[in-house]
Amino acid sequence: MAYKQSRLTMADDREILREIWEGKVPVCFQLAQEEVYTGEQPDPFFLLVPRLSYFPLVTDKVLRHMMKHVDPEHHGEMWLEFDGQPLKWHYPIGVLFDLYGMSTDLPWKLTVHFQNFPEEELLRCSSKEVVQSHFISVVKEADALKHRGQVINSMQKKDHSTLWAGFMNDKFDQFWSVNKRLMENSGEKAFMFVPFRIYRADQIPVQKLFKPCADSGESLTLRHLLKTAVPELMETDALISSRVLIQGIEPPLDTPVCWLSEHLSYPDNFLHICLMPRVEVES
Amino acid sequence: MSDKNDDDAPPSSPTAGSASTENAGTDGKSPTSVDSPSVSPAPGATASTSSKLKSNSLKVDILLKPAGDAPIMKKKKWTVDRTKKISWVSDFIKKYIKSEASESLFLYVNQAFAPSPDTDIGSIFDCFGSDGKLVLHYCRTQAWG
Repeated sequence: MAYKQSRLTMADDREILREIWEGKVPVCFQLAQEEVYTGEQPDPFFLLVPRLSYFPLVTDKVLRHMMKHVDPEHHGEMWLEFDGQPLKWHYPIGVLFDLYGMSTDLPWKLTVHFQNFPEEELLRCSSKEVVQSHFISVVKEADALKHRGQVINSMQKKDHSTLWAGFMNDKFDQFWSVNKRLMENSGEKAFMFVPFRIYRADQIPVQKLFKPCADSGESLTLRHLLKTAVPELMETDALISSRVLIQGIEPPLDTPVCWLSEHLSYPDNFLHICLMPRVEVES
Repeated sequence: MSDKNDDDAPPSSPTAGSASTENAGTDGKSPTSVDSPSVSPAPGATASTSSKLKSNSLKVDILLKPAGDAPIMKKKKWTVDRTKKISWVSDFIKKYIKSEASESLFLYVNQAFAPSPDTDIGSIFDCFGSDGKLVLHYCRTQAWG
């Protein structure tokens, strides 16, 4: 496999994982005008949130700040919206930002709601345990694709807890002490398939089986992956006018998918890829 | 690829054995029953041919199996639109086993993980279907995980 030879040293690898881990998005939360009960619009709330996290894990303070200003008799679960688009809590924040916020000014201005929960579009999230069980389930799905579930099944409950706690509490080393086993990619533990999802605004995500290497042993690239997963995009000129974003980065289409999976996956072990129309800059 | 994402689209007419689905689904939205395995790829078909056939098709076969104390469904094999969500399948099973809408029901793939309720059946089938069908286990309590 060509890329293995030119592979970066472990130290460099770790630096990339660190950079990804530390990615943050500045967000400005504002209570929906029509839900202000106390007469005066509360101050907006500013937060720097990790791209890898989920909104319910980082918005406790926003909730407490806004709650004081809504009708105590008529409010339900808090939900977020950007420019008319309700935001799914079960997508990592970085995915939501790449999908909807990439071309707006920073901080990313989100509207906070406590009424009219859009049942059709959003899942309910009653507690952080719901986020945890979603997270662990996606990790299991990823391992089912990579290792037929053998790695995750060989782990104990406490390993799952360590993984979650490391992620939750921003403890990089703790998280990777377990995650390195899930990312094992050599010999018998080589990835069978690469867990990925492709997102486009207004479309259901695309998820398919994709082997990281061809039968000839050649490592397959992001371009191959896109050809397999969204062939309609490759047949036309649509790809030229699309931005392919992973973790807010536009990786070269010749990047081996294995490398991307090992370095740019979210903590749920999936490679979340956003396809965005390229905005023409008028000269 | 079809863009048939509209959940309110009229259901296609059921094939074999449809009569027995009547009390299961509401407003004709129940999955098509497939008692006869005629939809499945021919035994001689190669894996690549059959997966090609399936990915071009708008419907997939699912096999529903109970876990824990969940009641058995008399009819286990159904054909559903690829665009249907996990939550839709879950609501369908609840009606079929006469479970209250408020009761929870968990659906598992590979007896290992629970896909999020807004996942479309087509994607799960593409990744975890085998022998031309997708096996889903349903359970009233969290079984795996």
